[in-house]
Amino acid sequence: MSALSTRTWTVVALAATVGLTGCDLGKKEVVQVGYRGTSMEQTYDMSNVDTKFSQVAIPAVLPPAGVSPPGPLPWQNVQVLNDISVAEFNRTMIAMSTWVAGTGNCAYCHNLANMASDTLPSGEPIYTKIVARRMLQMTRHINSQYPEHVKNTGVTCYTCHVGKPLPNGLWFYASQNDYLRHYLDRDGARVISKSIEPSNNNRSSVKQTEWTYALMISQSKSLGVNCTYCHNTRAFSSWEQAPPQRVTAMHGIWMTRDVNTNFLASLQDVYPAVRLGPMGDAPKAQCITCHNGAYKPLYGAQMAKDYPAMWGRADWNGVPFPGIYGPVTTVDSMGAVTDSTAPVLSDTAPAGVRASPSVSVSPAAGTAARGGSQR
Amino acid sequence: MLEYQNLFTRVQVRHAPDPGLPVDMGATGARYGKPFLLSLAGRIGDAQIGPIYFGWAGILSLLFGFIAIEIIGLNMWASVGWDPVQFVRQLPWLALEPPPPQFGLRIPPLEQGGWYLMAGFFLTVSILLWWVRTYQRARALGMGTHLPWAFASAIFLYLSFFFQPLLVGSWSEMVPFGVFPHLDWTSAFSIRYGNLYYNPFHALSIVFLYGSAVLFAMHGATILAVARMGGEREIEQITDRGTAAERSMLFWRWTMGFNATMESIHRWAWWFAVLTTFTGGIGILLTGTVVDNWYMWGQKHGLVATYPAQNMITPDQAEFLRGRYQGTSPDSFPSYLAPAAGAVPMMMDSTMATPDSAAADTSVIPATVPPDAPPPSDDANDALFSSPRMNR
Repeated sequence: MSALSTRTWTVVALAATVGLTGCDLGKKEVVQVGYRGTSMEQTYDMSNVDTKFSQVAIPAVLPPAGVSPPGPLPWQNVQVLNDISVAEFNRTMIAMSTWVAGTGNCAYCHNLANMASDTLPSGEPIYTKIVARRMLQMTRHINSQYPEHVKNTGVTCYTCHVGKPLPNGLWFYASQNDYLRHYLDRDGARVISKSIEPSNNNRSSVKQTEWTYALMISQSKSLGVNCTYCHNTRAFSSWEQAPPQRVTAMHGIWMTRDVNTNFLASLQDVYPAVRLGPMGDAPKAQCITCHNGAYKPLYGAQMAKDYPAMWGRADWNGVPFPGIYGPVTTVDSMGAVTDSTAPVLSDTAPAGVRASPSVSVSPAAGTAARGGSQR
Repeated sequence: MLEYQNLFTRVQVRHAPDPGLPVDMGATGARYGKPFLLSLAGRIGDAQIGPIYFGWAGILSLLFGFIAIEIIGLNMWASVGWDPVQFVRQLPWLALEPPPPQFGLRIPPLEQGGWYLMAGFFLTVSILLWWVRTYQRARALGMGTHLPWAFASAIFLYLSFFFQPLLVGSWSEMVPFGVFPHLDWTSAFSIRYGNLYYNPFHALSIVFLYGSAVLFAMHGATILAVARMGGEREIEQITDRGTAAERSMLFWRWTMGFNATMESIHRWAWWFAVLTTFTGGIGILLTGTVVDNWYMWGQKHGLVATYPAQNMITPDQAEFLRGRYQGTSPDSFPSYLAPAAGAVPMMMDSTMATPDSAAADTSVIPATVPPDAPPPSDDANDALFSSPRMNR
């Protein structure tokens, strides 16, 4: 009898151990993010987070650009980075090769015989160079126009590329990922009515709700967070009850739509066929492209502050854009140069940027003027 | 009879298979199969297998059910390109989906929900015929019809998922066939209608469902516990109270001051089970027809606890952030055609097209801000909304 019960208890204890821990062995950390007792909390699998965090490798910051040779800029075909010094330009190019193509792999984007050329010696266009130019414009656009989303961390090429020519999570038109079209040409994810009684204002069906549901789950996976990161799940549509992160996410959705529409989809004619989707569309981005499963891309590592060419802002955390005459410290030693830099900065002061949406925030005075006239 | 204390049946009665009651073959139909004893079956129930009665309702029910399963299974298989390995691997995620919203209550093409409607029709007929069968068998054996009516309650819930789409006017509301897809539908249905937890009939259904489980556990445990006194002979104990009945009733009277009887406990269980699906069905029928947002209904009727807001935003800002309804989904997917070469202007310098997708997002929202809504405040949260896009 006692032997039997011992055996029974052993089996029960073993079964309980396996049953209770078998689901997920990792250490969990639960963080309360809302009012007490409402289950507004984030659950992090710490072993998982530790692993992913250790996998994030941030390239070492290149030493600051030195003094540039005096005289006019030597460039022949520089269309975006024509507002930074020669030294900063070269520093940026080296950093970009590390971020995207492999350190020193200039030939990924350039005709080595003529770095200014947009074509190979054979006359064939170098699509990677044209795409890279557009991506630089996009990076500046994101950093300048979407401070509500990228804050003062900002983005660089590395945020999405993480050292690879093709970022993660690129998508093409397909029936399976129909919901991703919310990031491009299909507006409206809202399905919950604003009134108690049914009305014709909202004819959304359960099926459309599943479309929104798929979109939300893809965001949740992209950021590695629960629904409660952005929503109070008792009332998904309520903004008052939602954590502030939801506002940040909303700006992110607008940003992704803007980026996909105006930068990525429009590169369709530039790419060779091998880079296009089954329906001939250009690769597009979604949340996971930058976030890579982390609630902040690269777990919040701040890279943009060290590379003024990426800013698209007149200043970064109070550090003014150095302009074509190099870093401010260098400029200070030549008094005359400081004066000539000043007007460029004052044209694009932050206050002016906020007040007038039609003004481009690009720190380059010439670029800004061109952009404004086109609108 | 000490063995009956165990949680599992440890004794099996071995006997010559029992042919059952001699009944009028003409009125009730024949029973088929030579009965035999199966030890494994005896561990969980009666060891005897067969004979079985088919009858016209049973045969037709199986036939219609088979057709429904065939349609569902073949559609799922077709959805993975007839790959048998992928069919098995992805089976839990495969689905036969109802017609998309743009068809309303019209008859869609086969591959856009037509198969779904056919499968649903055959499955429904199959279930109704099975109900006929349970009713016929109950009458043939001279029993009451409690069992068919309990089954009818479950069928009522099942049919609610058909009538609610009819009332709302769209096949697309219906439940997809598939393991995870039908669970996803459950989430989506609740989200679409503003959180079904605030639907009082959903709440009642849960009460009866959980109550059924508690009653089941209480009753099963009580009878097993008095089995050593012959308590498993419940029906005899109803008319002729033995010590098993007395002790089991005393147990609950001493424990909670009140007890059901050997007889009434079965009424408790029957009503709890029947009301689970009945109240659930009412809750479904009210959703989307009478109430479109159960959370707001709950707010109106004091069901929603209030606690501090997490986002200090004005109604105007909330209105802006809410975005627009999905509207009609595209007629068929994929509908995208890549623009011809050169149709998309390539911008080689740093000029940008105006990002107007965000502005379009706001264009259809009806302004329903309450007239007494406070004006936008100048508090720190405005920083969140200071984007140029917000100023349009």
